[in-house]
Amino acid sequence: MAGVLSSLRYLLADVIGDDDAATPLLPEGSPDAIAPVVSEGIHLLIDYQGPSYAQLYVDRLRRFVGRAGVDDAMFGEIARLMANRMSYEDPIRIAQLKLGEADAAPDDVRQFRIDELVGALPTAVADPILGVLDYLGWVHKPVSIRFSKASRWGIRRLKIEASLRRWRLFSVRYGDERAWVERWLHMIDRALVKQPAAAPQIVQTATMVQGYGDPYRLGMADWHLIIDGLAKPTFDSALALPDLAGAVAEARAAACPDSRQVALKRKIDEIRARVPSEAQPALADARTGP
Amino acid sequence: MDSSHLAEHAGTAGALFASVFVVASTTMRTMIPLRVFGILTNIVLISTAIPTHNYLIILVQSGVLVLNSYRLHQMLQLVRDVKKSVNGDLSMEWLKPFMTEHKCAAGQALFYKGEKAESMLYIVSGRFRLVESGIEMPIGAIVGELGMLSPSNTRTQTLECVEAGTILSVSYTKVEELYVQNPEFGFYFLRLASARLFQNIDTLEQRLAQQAALASSAPTPA
Repeated sequence: MAGVLSSLRYLLADVIGDDDAATPLLPEGSPDAIAPVVSEGIHLLIDYQGPSYAQLYVDRLRRFVGRAGVDDAMFGEIARLMANRMSYEDPIRIAQLKLGEADAAPDDVRQFRIDELVGALPTAVADPILGVLDYLGWVHKPVSIRFSKASRWGIRRLKIEASLRRWRLFSVRYGDERAWVERWLHMIDRALVKQPAAAPQIVQTATMVQGYGDPYRLGMADWHLIIDGLAKPTFDSALALPDLAGAVAEARAAACPDSRQVALKRKIDEIRARVPSEAQPALADARTGP
Repeated sequence: MDSSHLAEHAGTAGALFASVFVVASTTMRTMIPLRVFGILTNIVLISTAIPTHNYLIILVQSGVLVLNSYRLHQMLQLVRDVKKSVNGDLSMEWLKPFMTEHKCAAGQALFYKGEKAESMLYIVSGRFRLVESGIEMPIGAIVGELGMLSPSNTRTQTLECVEAGTILSVSYTKVEELYVQNPEFGFYFLRLASARLFQNIDTLEQRLAQQAALASSAPTPA
């Protein structure tokens, strides 16, 4: 009977979304001092999505276990920031958190953008809707959503919203988040090879991307601007920045809430202009590729 | 003689005959026999529906017959192409009909080193570079075909688009489906993947030999 049930569960896994995987273990060889941080990350992600998702977190962390240039503090920061980023705040998460609050908790009104709301749906459903919204010019429109436990209907609605987590890994937003986390880890990896002193600063750039709505979009855009303008060219040997960590910190300090990113772009140009002109042939070589 | 009486008997006999094929179809474990029996069932059902003028059944079964025939043709063609590839240039072009097209912008990373591999890619146009090794992938190259069979299932390098282009991708799940549906395809796919692996080993051995030859011919310092 158990075998039949297991087969049925497997057959319907995409629909019912049950995750019966075992709780993942800490990555082998990870520093003992950091075990509480990693363990907390695992439990957070099990609550957020399920054991398989937590396993993905452990697999990603494993890349930095015993890695030259990664001390305990840096490993701990990667573990902490990655868990935060992997438990990104979408409407599903906010509904989950609201359900966990006390019954008397006051209502929360959060402002999202329409594309953010639709992006929480599976890609197959979201894509046509986003196409229509784009046609109407409503994609970036702000929408206020109330998360309330004040009535039975409110609680029922929260439960329905939270239940969408079954399809979260098929969503448009998850695809973006996955690409972001992988790119961040890739940049840390490249920093460790090309400019190890800058690696802790690259790790900390994860704090730029937080929340939801416009602040999230802006943080994401600023992060990509800094990485594309300073970090990646340095790793590609297209820009000879001797102190990448300092340059990234300087650029971050210049970032301000501005959708046109004027101050940040100016600062990045300024930092790049400071690079000695001898580096320019290297830039040209790198752009033409091997 | 009453022809409607005859048509009724023919219909009953035909329905019984078709039922045998329906039951037989459900016992098929793999795709090709399943499609063949599906086609036979469609033909029998159409034949029995003609005397009784049951146009709805004729219409539905004709549609399913076309679909079954097309899928059977696809599957047979796939097996033929993989077989040809094993005995020929080891190309993976036969996968193209099962792939989805994606446009890539310059600077876009298709996957990162250490990331879990879930699909294989075919480069149609543009320029793509493996970041860590600096190797540029030529047009027509398949990337990630061995990742499906590797135990770690992770990307060993980062693939970046240098110049905007197009790629085709197919998920490992889709290839696994083809593999499970058709044992003959599975057998040839394994042979093909092994042959490509051996080809890679040969290339590496040649490079090692060349490096060793260069090292031995270099003048030794006094």
